[in-house]
Amino acid sequence: MPFEVKDCTLITRMAGISTAMNLRELQERVIICPEECLFHHFSETVIRPTFDDPEFHNDFAVWARRQLRDRVLAERLGIINPYKLNSLEELRLLVLDIIEERLSEVHHIPWAPPGHDFQFMQAVTVVFDTGMVLKTPEDLCELLPRMSHSSIYYHFVEARRRCDDKRDDFSNWLDGFDEDVRPLTEALGNVEFYFVALWELQKRLIRAVEKALPECAHE
Amino acid sequence: MSRTLLDYEPVVGPDAISQLRQAARDLKGATVVHVNSTREGGGVAEILAWLNPLMVDLGLDARWEVVEGHPEFFGVTKAFHNGLQGGEVMLTDRQVEVYEQTVKDNAERLRPLLESADFVVIHDPQPAHLLAACPNRKGKWIWRCHIDASHPNRKVWNYIRSQVQGYDASIFSMPQFAQRLHHPQFIIAPSIDPLSEKNVDLTDDEIKATLEKYGIDSNRPVLTQISRFDRFKDPIGVIRAFMLLNGTVDAQLVLAGGGATDDPEGAVVLEEVKAAANGNPDVNILLLPPDAHRIINAIQRASAIIMQKSLQEGFGLTVTEAMWKGKPVIGGNVGGIRLQVHNHYTGFLVDTPEGAALRIRELMNRPEKMAFMGRTARKFVTENFLLNRHLREYLTLMLGLRRGLANHLMAD
Repeated sequence: MPFEVKDCTLITRMAGISTAMNLRELQERVIICPEECLFHHFSETVIRPTFDDPEFHNDFAVWARRQLRDRVLAERLGIINPYKLNSLEELRLLVLDIIEERLSEVHHIPWAPPGHDFQFMQAVTVVFDTGMVLKTPEDLCELLPRMSHSSIYYHFVEARRRCDDKRDDFSNWLDGFDEDVRPLTEALGNVEFYFVALWELQKRLIRAVEKALPECAHE
Repeated sequence: MSRTLLDYEPVVGPDAISQLRQAARDLKGATVVHVNSTREGGGVAEILAWLNPLMVDLGLDARWEVVEGHPEFFGVTKAFHNGLQGGEVMLTDRQVEVYEQTVKDNAERLRPLLESADFVVIHDPQPAHLLAACPNRKGKWIWRCHIDASHPNRKVWNYIRSQVQGYDASIFSMPQFAQRLHHPQFIIAPSIDPLSEKNVDLTDDEIKATLEKYGIDSNRPVLTQISRFDRFKDPIGVIRAFMLLNGTVDAQLVLAGGGATDDPEGAVVLEEVKAAANGNPDVNILLLPPDAHRIINAIQRASAIIMQKSLQEGFGLTVTEAMWKGKPVIGGNVGGIRLQVHNHYTGFLVDTPEGAALRIRELMNRPEKMAFMGRTARKFVTENFLLNRHLREYLTLMLGLRRGLANHLMAD
């Protein structure tokens, strides 16, 4: 079965919740915000038209560090990997637990400077055809370097939300081939995908494929 | 002269054009009517001048209509504009009456088109009352607010909200500009047209000739701020930063902008700027006509660093233009400049003239860093702030409104 490579973009919108000006308000809003909003601030950050923050990979941690100036909170939030959790509700509980712990530690509720409130957003993922088709596992060697970062995001990161088994699209597709591609599937399964920028993820995927399929890497 | 998608393909690439065609496939033949208040002058007219023909090129039945009115009407809409930006303005019953009656008069002419259209996009507050004047609407109505409405005058906003609440969706340029409304509020950042007079590639000869014409030495580095002579753009802060260099950097400063002749406050600020320059021969103050796009283009391209040391800013398209030309930007730490200027990557954000002077000195002494920032800036704009992204977001938003806003939307 050929693999049709897709690309994607976001339509971003306000989540319909008031902004948070301080940590207490952040707690109150996280309780009520839609799941899509949590997903956006934890996972879709990498394909928005912004620069990657080199330190933190979710918006809550970035806001805690830059606006609340609370490095402790930022570090605790920054280490969360939403893909290690079973659901977005589990993610919500973990974020609330961290915020509540911090609220119990500080003497004064940290505030953001005026104009730097936390804006709650969500997005619709719009999917496009690229015309690129993988017919065999070996095609990954040639086509992975040509894929856009948003294609990598769609098939290797976002897929885990879309697919019931929480795996990436490439691995699911490789399951349709013989046993001898298992090392490739395992190699892809070992690639760290959340705490890296998309350009870095693409490099790691290329390296994993070349290692698992050395014959096509030298072609 | 309107351009086609094919004209843009060499700049944005075939994949970007393919995405536009896919997004438009299900919208082919749909009637889209944009309504604003002027065909010439201002950012909205500039956007519609490319957006409308490109939608037509994609197979949509796109139209651009303009509301007409007498000076009293535009006086009221100017008050709306200022009020949405937070200005202290009065809003009387008489003003509301003039506004609504003028829009109703326009509706007599536009009603058949607007009521039958699949999508109506109303730009800014001037035509907003058209929704109330078109009760038998068939399609989706979208209010596009181009204004920084983050801190509006409450009285003005309460009135505008009563006019836009009934729309199917609204669009703001940045999350910070959005206001609470009972319909989906989308965020679509502005963009630049890479083939416009302001951004198209120029020959070295044209750039050199422009510098000569305006008395700028082409053999010494140029620092430039392009902006109206407006206190919020802090031109005097830029001069202070330049003076703080105190000869440690061999450079010239250019402050270029237009609009002062018909703007009483602009003329006052221009005089203040001239006084602050105090006859320094390395400070060039250029008052340019509103259509001096190629001149501005040439000056930006000739510059080593672009300044945009605003104290308050909407999105800051002059920053986008500079970055498109591969220039590092030293910008004020405000508004949309923060979305574009990223410390150590595309430039520096500063809060004071001292900070600006420090960063100018740093960059002028590190040409390799300037070159890196210029390359990064150009790439960032190419990926995020060109018109193809802007058009794609309009199309996908319309597609989303038509099909429903699920988590995923297949464009094909």
